Amino acid sequence: MPRYRVGVDIGGTFTDAVAIDEESGEIITAKVPSTPQDPSAGFIAALEEILKKAKNGAREFRLIFHATTLGTNAILEGKGPTTGFITTKGFRDILEIQRQIKPKLYDLFQEKPKPLVPRNLCIEVSERIGPDGEVLLPLNEDDVKRAAETLKKNNVVSVAVCLINSYINPNHEKRIGDILRKECPKLFISLSSEVNPEFREYFRASTTIINAFLMPLISEYLDKVLSALTTRGIAAELYIMQSNGGLAPPEFVKNRPAYIVESGPAAGVIAGQFIGSLLGEKDLITLDMGGTTAKVGLVERGMYKLAVDYEVGSMARAELGFTKGGGYPLRTPVIDLVEVGAGGGSIAWIDQAGALHVGPRSAGAEPGPVCYGKGGTEPTVTDANLVLGRLCEEHFLGGAVKLDKQGATNALKKLAEALGLELLEAAYGVIEIANASMLRAMRSISVERGYDPRDFSFIVFGGAGPLHANALAAELEVKRVIIPPSPGVASALGLIVTDVKHDYSVTRIQRLDTANVDEINATYSRFEAEARAQLARDGIAERDMRLLRFMDVRYVGQSYELRLPVPHGKLSRKDLEEIIVAFHEEHERVYGHAERTEPVEMVNLRLEAIGVIVKPRLKRLNKADRPADNAVIHVRNVYFRDEGLVSCKVYDRRKLLSGHVIEGPAIVEEHDSTTVILPGYSAEVDELGNLIILKM
Amino acid sequence: MKLSPKISPITYEVLRHAFFAIIEEMSAALKRSAYSTNIKTRADFSCAFFDKDCRLVVQAFAQPIHLATMVHLVPNTIREYGPENIGPDDGILVNDVHRVGGTHLNDISLVSPVYYGGEVVGYVGNIAHHIDVGGGVPGSLPVSTSIYQDGLIIPPVKLVRGGEVQRDVMELVMANVRGKKENAGDFRAQIAANRLGAKRFAELYKRYGKEVVENFIDELFNHTEKRAREQIRSLPKGDYEEEGYADDDGVEDRPIRIKVKVSIKDDKVVFDFTGTDAQRKGPMNAHYGVARGIGAYVLKCIMGEDVAINHGLYRCFEVIVPRKTVLNAEYPASLVGMAEVGTRALEITFRALAKALPDKIPAQGKTCICNLSFGGVNPKTGEEYVFYETIAGGYGARPNKDGMEAVQAHWQNTENSPVEELEASLPVIILRYELIPDSEGAGKYRGGLGVRRDYWFKDHAATFSALTDVAKYPPLGLFGGLPARPLRIIRNPKDGDDTHIGSKVTVSLEPNEVISVQTPGGGGYGNPLERDPLLVLSDVIQGKVSLKRAREVYGVVINPETMEIDWKETESLRRSRMRVG
Repeated sequence: MPRYRVGVDIGGTFTDAVAIDEESGEIITAKVPSTPQDPSAGFIAALEEILKKAKNGAREFRLIFHATTLGTNAILEGKGPTTGFITTKGFRDILEIQRQIKPKLYDLFQEKPKPLVPRNLCIEVSERIGPDGEVLLPLNEDDVKRAAETLKKNNVVSVAVCLINSYINPNHEKRIGDILRKECPKLFISLSSEVNPEFREYFRASTTIINAFLMPLISEYLDKVLSALTTRGIAAELYIMQSNGGLAPPEFVKNRPAYIVESGPAAGVIAGQFIGSLLGEKDLITLDMGGTTAKVGLVERGMYKLAVDYEVGSMARAELGFTKGGGYPLRTPVIDLVEVGAGGGSIAWIDQAGALHVGPRSAGAEPGPVCYGKGGTEPTVTDANLVLGRLCEEHFLGGAVKLDKQGATNALKKLAEALGLELLEAAYGVIEIANASMLRAMRSISVERGYDPRDFSFIVFGGAGPLHANALAAELEVKRVIIPPSPGVASALGLIVTDVKHDYSVTRIQRLDTANVDEINATYSRFEAEARAQLARDGIAERDMRLLRFMDVRYVGQSYELRLPVPHGKLSRKDLEEIIVAFHEEHERVYGHAERTEPVEMVNLRLEAIGVIVKPRLKRLNKADRPADNAVIHVRNVYFRDEGLVSCKVYDRRKLLSGHVIEGPAIVEEHDSTTVILPGYSAEVDELGNLIILKM
Repeated sequence: MKLSPKISPITYEVLRHAFFAIIEEMSAALKRSAYSTNIKTRADFSCAFFDKDCRLVVQAFAQPIHLATMVHLVPNTIREYGPENIGPDDGILVNDVHRVGGTHLNDISLVSPVYYGGEVVGYVGNIAHHIDVGGGVPGSLPVSTSIYQDGLIIPPVKLVRGGEVQRDVMELVMANVRGKKENAGDFRAQIAANRLGAKRFAELYKRYGKEVVENFIDELFNHTEKRAREQIRSLPKGDYEEEGYADDDGVEDRPIRIKVKVSIKDDKVVFDFTGTDAQRKGPMNAHYGVARGIGAYVLKCIMGEDVAINHGLYRCFEVIVPRKTVLNAEYPASLVGMAEVGTRALEITFRALAKALPDKIPAQGKTCICNLSFGGVNPKTGEEYVFYETIAGGYGARPNKDGMEAVQAHWQNTENSPVEELEASLPVIILRYELIPDSEGAGKYRGGLGVRRDYWFKDHAATFSALTDVAKYPPLGLFGGLPARPLRIIRNPKDGDDTHIGSKVTVSLEPNEVISVQTPGGGGYGNPLERDPLLVLSDVIQGKVSLKRAREVYGVVINPETMEIDWKETESLRRSRMRVG
């Protein structure tokens, strides 16, 4: 009996599901409209669609992994329950003051993000913890009771508590939690010392408030999903995708919804990491090119990177530079992505002074590019790819959609005339400009973060990605390009190849040369005990638990930390000395210099607890015993920058076998994507069906 | 309109992305390798590329106050040092504002040539705020009367020669500054950024060829200029005048008059500050470049997002400031307060423009930088420390909505230091960090609220300095909007006994003293009696405006028991007040 592992991703418009047969590695996908009124309806519909498509009459799901933008949307739309905030007297306004900066530099009509808790529900209590954890002023419990009254009176459903310096001494917060539980038994309570016990009050408070804001919503939603599954007799285990790229069971997520805020967008990075691991490739830049934007991520030494200074609602945009303050800070781990407004639907346009631009405006799915024939009139990147012969009007989406090449040509001709260029020159220009903008994002995720792209392989997802991959790779001089089979769907693999993951952290600022080793050991032991208990509750066997320790370290006086791995077992002073040495080296590597005589301090202790889930096997290809000639569909003219129109062989990817080598210039077509192989490059098919593009 | 036939529109756009990518990479490198919080976290720096004729091609920064400073400083530094004396991988260090232009001594710049094919094709430069450059008080914010008291003056000198840091120069500089660790780390970052920038730009010239890149640069300027002039043509032509005052210069208790005439001509704008007071003895003086930065900032704000900042934009406006005035000060004027007088002048300029563009310009905001520094000996470590920060205030009310609470002044966008970070690293406790209710300038749309931050120096004697303004002349409203509450700095605040100690002051504190800094709100827009009573009610419920003020200033009567508006009373109160008004 085949058993499926399925990933369900609920987006704003569509709910996508991807299922893999755990025996054969066969993949089935489904797409149904999302049902915002009750998202669990779309969830179930997607599962039923999968079963309909399963040729072998399968009825059984073993594991269901679920990503949802429910949390992000609730925050961005400010649609959540009435939420309250309790803090130290004198600090009621940390949510209003935020970072004290303007998100934009020159906009006289801009706004800061609106606090998720209105000021009248930000309640102060008299108490104060000092920077060493000492009590400067004891907690006034009458204030807490009065606060409880205010919460009740205002029908507050969920409350966040964040006191100054509670990261080092959580006692007052805990006491407030106890009193509130007694006074308001139905209230959802999030304590900052539990949600995110790290220093920097605004960021901790914001994270705790996001948690509080989402708790009622996510709890209710997950209960609905669970009961819908039960009703349908689906006995699979359900896990939720977190922003850290790992999974967590519903019971955990109900208490810590802050961990699932960015639960879908990074699937491409995880898929890249997974495919890389199968190929023995530990260092990868990933690109996921959609209709409107392209998202770029980075995997180093087999691990994807986490974002520094993440804000919900203001993803790092290559074209926006440094400006922060446009969103809600979230300090739970989030996979690092840089997004840029370049996708297949990005529109090419000429500004009033005659310069050509591509994006960030997109024709989206409706009306879509001109060649979709659904009413689009402005030329897009996809139209340019069609006119250049890179896309085929007959074979798009396996021939399901016939593209209007004449329409695309007409639209681009207008553009070309306005620019005084030949048609093909202008069309290629559109591609080059889209590439320039994606290159900016790729440089941002690599060189700007201290990595040399020449040490990385480049893995590409999204239907449009493989059209551009080779050219981008040539610019950045990456080692090689990996195009997985079905690139349009492959990023969704990220949903079903990941592990259970929990993060633990606490801030303890101490000079490492004089740090209290016993206390550090005690902290890691506590984390590990908590983690093992949690993973056991998640259904993870002891042998599948991986506990990784980290420490955030900096020079005394800096306000910027580096994360370093910490050895297992009981730490000795010597271990700390080795961490100091490792820190200097890492600082040298990342920042280009190290101050070996300067004192070094630890800032945060961290534990990453992973519950390994056995990965599905991917389908293998048969070995080729003769050249790929019978995969050639036809020969057509394709435009390249230096060579102009070149007669190119076009291959059917379904017919390619392991070991086949294709010399560029060439085109490889498959159902959901088209790969361009440039002159001077060749692509080899590996046994998993990946196209590996290398310079000849 | 079309681009020049000398460059393909495709190459143009690809190069535009490439230039930005390099300058962003350079900035990221500076930020990444810097040591001080001020640069790493607060992003108080800027990077730029100039062509071989020293014209600004591209600039990346988070602080628009750096807008026009490098436009002066880079060309002048090159001229002063002599281009023939600058070789590959050299770096010229400079902060001598009176000689080459700039902001104040804390902002130290490094300028390096970009060599390609054995010749100079351009220059990369960066400017970074160092938290201390010596002088009388920690943080280098003294109420001084000459540039010599401001701190260490660095004329254009070669800090880096052929890639090697000149130890003698570095030692001389380091001997004169506090916070050596931070300073040294930040210098290293500045050197690293220029090295990277010079390398990357050279690669770009190699890849595309000198002629193509130079054609691109010319076309970039033309394109920017065309876009800017086109937008200027859509503005209402005429002369718009305004004058106003900064409080004093910290030495002499006499207001500083700032006068501006903004002339919108056919396709350019002229900012004429003739009539502005002569330069002062105290530190409220600025170099001409700061005034030019006002022009660039104001224009950029009223133009579309797509007008780039480069030489082409600078062709579209003129800034006239008579010599030896506070906005065009000359040697030996102290410049510590340049951003304070500059920000006041900027707000007065906006006020002039409001006459031309009443629907596009906000009322005056915080109107100051609020420079604060303190230092002493940390009793925990026995080590000397110095700290610098600035605090946000209200944003001016807009023609269609309220001003933001607690943000930095227009061209200033530095972040706050988290209280917990501050307390963990310095011997100070923050007792309050909150909005100041009733500090807004009232109006149909109200200004944003100011901020209060109280510092408790619990167990050591510290020196606290403020160098700011707006304690006497508050942020003004527009079209019937009222002024906001001005700045207050209070030593050991008690209820009802709050004596402001001045906006330009250095005080020696005994252990256990408290300094309360209270920043201005933003001015209002339109008559407060026309404010939607529901908005007033919401402010009252939020605790941002008091019941008393709702009644007295906005004419809105709210029942304190039910927290509901008494509509009848409100209407009659407003009617009678309108009649009086």
